[in-house]
Amino acid sequence: MMARRVVITGCSAITPIGRTREEIVRHLVEGISGVKKLRDDGLLTAHMHSGVYGTVDYPIAYDFKRSHRKTMGPVSFYACQVAKEALEASGLDPEFITSGRLGVAFGSTHGSPSAQRDIYKTFFTESKQRFASIGAVDYLKSMVHTTAVNITKMFGITGRVISSSTACTTSSQSIGFGYETVKYGMQDAMLCGGADEYDTTTVAVFDNLLACSTEFNATPHLTPRPFDVSRDGLVVGEGAGAVLLEEYEHAKNRGAPILGEIIGFSCNNNGGDLILPNIQGITRTIALALEAAAIAPGQVDFVSAHATATKMGDVIEAQAIGSLYGDGPVVTGLKSYMGHTMGSCGAIEAIISLYLMEEGFIPPTLNLDEVDERCAMIRHAVQLLEQPIRIAAVQNFAFGGVNTCFILKKFDGE
Amino acid sequence: MERDAIKAAIIRIFDEKFEIVDPSADDNLRDAYEFDSIDAVELLHEIEILLDTQLSQAEKKNAMEIRTINQIVDYIEALAQDRCLAKSSGSEPCLSTMEQ
Repeated sequence: MMARRVVITGCSAITPIGRTREEIVRHLVEGISGVKKLRDDGLLTAHMHSGVYGTVDYPIAYDFKRSHRKTMGPVSFYACQVAKEALEASGLDPEFITSGRLGVAFGSTHGSPSAQRDIYKTFFTESKQRFASIGAVDYLKSMVHTTAVNITKMFGITGRVISSSTACTTSSQSIGFGYETVKYGMQDAMLCGGADEYDTTTVAVFDNLLACSTEFNATPHLTPRPFDVSRDGLVVGEGAGAVLLEEYEHAKNRGAPILGEIIGFSCNNNGGDLILPNIQGITRTIALALEAAAIAPGQVDFVSAHATATKMGDVIEAQAIGSLYGDGPVVTGLKSYMGHTMGSCGAIEAIISLYLMEEGFIPPTLNLDEVDERCAMIRHAVQLLEQPIRIAAVQNFAFGGVNTCFILKKFDGE
Repeated sequence: MERDAIKAAIIRIFDEKFEIVDPSADDNLRDAYEFDSIDAVELLHEIEILLDTQLSQAEKKNAMEIRTINQIVDYIEALAQDRCLAKSSGSEPCLSTMEQ
C-alpha cells in the first residue's frame, strides 16, 4: 500500500491555560498553572480527598444554532468549537468538507457524563413530574461517539467516522488513526482530536484508586508535580483539542498553511494489567513509533511525556525514555501546567508541541523542584530553554494498558 | 380547553423549548424551522404534561406525520376529546381535562 505524507493544516484547543496560541504560550513562558480548586458539584466533591482540578474558567462564546445545540452535551460544545476553529484555520472549502474525502476521528472518555447523570436522575430520583422520561436527545448528548457525530452534523462531513474512547489515549488514538487513514489513502483529510467536560466522576475514579493529588488542595498551582520527589498523584482536568490532518500534496496544491508533519505513529497494549504502568509496553510503543517514522532516537529533540505525576507511572515512563533515548531529547511533562485533560490530552499536547516548534523554546516541567532520583536518567526541562525543536515525540498511556506515541516534524517547506 | 388556548400553549412551548418564536399556523415546521423527529418526540412529552395524560405508542406514532401548528392543535383537540369521551363513557357532555 502506498504511503502518503500527512501534514497538519489547522488546530485549535480549549485548555486550562487558555484558548489561543498566545495565551497558552504566555502561560508556558511565565510558568502559570491552570489548576484550580475543584468546584463543588453538590454530589461527589464532598466525598473525595482530592480538591484540585485543571479548570477552564473563562467564557467561550458559542454561536451554534439550535438544531446543532440540541444534541450536544458540554463535551460536544467543546469538541465542535475546536473542530470549527481547526477547519477555519485550515482554509478548506465547504465543497471539500462535505465531499466524503474528509473524515472525523474524535472521542471523549465517556461521552457526556452530565447528560448521563440527567438520565440516571430520571430513574433514581422521585420526580413530582408524572411523565418524567428520558429526553429524546439525552442519548445523543451522552453516547460515547457524541463528539464525533455532532461534528459531522455541524459541518456536513460525510467521510469516515472513528471514535476512540480509550481514556487518556482517546485523542492520541484519534490523531494516530486519522493519520493512518490519510497516509494509506482512505481519506484525503481527517479532523482529529478529543474533548472532556468538567466531570467529578473521573476524579472520583482516580481518587478511589489513591492516584489523585491530595496534598495541595490549598495550593492548587503547586500540583501536579511530574517527576518531582514530592509528587502525589494526578490532577484531572477538562479541555479539548482538534487538528486537521491533510495529505501533503493536497495541502500544498491549495496553498494551505502547514503547521507540521506527522511522520510516525504507534499503538500497542501491555497485554496484562489494566492499571499498572508497564515498562515493556511503553518502551515498545516508543520504539515502534521511531521505527514507523524511520528515524533514530538521536533525531528527536523533544519528548512530550505523558507524565501524570503518579508515583510509579513517572518512574516507569522515565525508565522507558531513558532506555531508548538516553539523556538526549529534552523531556517536559505538559500536564504540570493544566492537569490531565483526559480524552483531550494527546491532542492538546500535540498542539502545544506545534506551538513550541514555531516559537523555538521548550518550557520546563512546572513544579519540578527536585527530580526524583528514580526519574533522573533523562534530560528534564527544569528551566525554559531557547531551543529549536525539529522533531517531537508525543506519548500517552491509558487505563486498559493502551499506549500510543506519535512523532511530529517541523515543516521545513518541502 | 378551547382551541385558542391550546394554540397559545403550543406557541409558548415552541418559544420556551424550541426557540421558535411565533411560528405561522400553517408553516411546514420542518422546512421553516428545522423542526425534526427528535423535536417531535420532545413536543409529545410536553403535550403529555399539558394534558396531564400519557400518550399511547399508537397516538405518538400518529403524530409523526404532523407538520404545522394547526395540525398540532387538531391533534391535541382530538386527544382531549378522546380522553373526555373515555372518562364520561359518552353519556354526558364532554369537557376537556384542562377545564375540569
